[in-house]
Amino acid sequence: TDAKKSNIPAPQSALATARIISDISTVQYPEGVSSPRPDLNKDAKEGKFRYDRDFLLQFMLICKEKPASLPPLDAIGLEPIDPSSLSM
Amino acid sequence: QEVDMQGQADAIRTVFSDPTNFNVKHPLYSPWTLWFDSPATKGRNMPQTPISAFPQTPMPQTPGVNAAAQGWMEDIKRVISFDSVEEFWGLYNNIIPPSALPQKANYYLFKEGIIPAWEDDANKNGGKWSIQLPKDKNRAHVDRMWLYTMLAAIGETFDPTHTSTESTTAQSLITGVIVSTRPQFYRLSIWTRYAPSGDEDAALKDRIESVGRHFKMSVLGYQDNARLAGPLATEVEFLSHKDSEKKGKAAKKIIV
Repeated sequence: TDAKKSNIPAPQSALATARIISDISTVQYPEGVSSPRPDLNKDAKEGKFRYDRDFLLQFMLICKEKPASLPPLDAIGLEPIDPSSLSM
Repeated sequence: QEVDMQGQADAIRTVFSDPTNFNVKHPLYSPWTLWFDSPATKGRNMPQTPISAFPQTPMPQTPGVNAAAQGWMEDIKRVISFDSVEEFWGLYNNIIPPSALPQKANYYLFKEGIIPAWEDDANKNGGKWSIQLPKDKNRAHVDRMWLYTMLAAIGETFDPTHTSTESTTAQSLITGVIVSTRPQFYRLSIWTRYAPSGDEDAALKDRIESVGRHFKMSVLGYQDNARLAGPLATEVEFLSHKDSEKKGKAAKKIIV
């Protein structure tokens, strides 16, 4: 909703301005957050990384902001989200 | 208060250390596009009021895509493209999961530039792994299964050999993944760029089978030897698109 949106300090701009990680092996994660499995990116080229599921799942509860480019869902025949349906 | 702006600009801040002011994001191996269709999107144009105006699905640029595919593509709606882990989750957390979709709906998550049709150049020589799951027994599992299917696709873990050597295997086998809702079942599919055409394709067949085993065990959570077919249910099975077209004839399925 609009009210909720205005309370969040511009997370879209962080996503829009964030740079692409070029060397995944140099990224330090906070304690308790696992790095991607190193064997997946042994010979990785810049910006071409593979990620294991456990690594990816760590983002689920953090990255919740609606993407700026998401069209109005009812305009494409898709029901808008019911937040209670998100539980896995 | 004084802030060391230069120091801040240089430090890498992921979304884990600063969820609102992160300055790096995790690129995906490939950019992806989510498509959607349901009975409500078929056979009519979406309302084009100023509020809901949405660009029409662009015509596929792939040469050789025939008129039938183009007609079908008019009914399928492009939702969004994304190329980072952070954007994927922003999308995931803002659209309904498969268990909440209407009947006869589909989500198609394909690599950007590949349309979810057999006729696309990237798909025409390929095939698909799929499983059909009875709805009442799997309503509680399908959302997790679809999420894990998408994560294996965008994380590029379905086909572990594709980056290990150069040349022929350098290109990932996976072109897209699909979840379908039907009145009595769900179907999950993984589309591949190639399909083994016979016994001479032993290396490709091995590679295709390893995708199927990963799908069955790591993604869907079944035991290697589990038999899954039953009323409204199928095994985890592979069929080339060319064999799928020959309805009625004995198709050469691979089962894991």
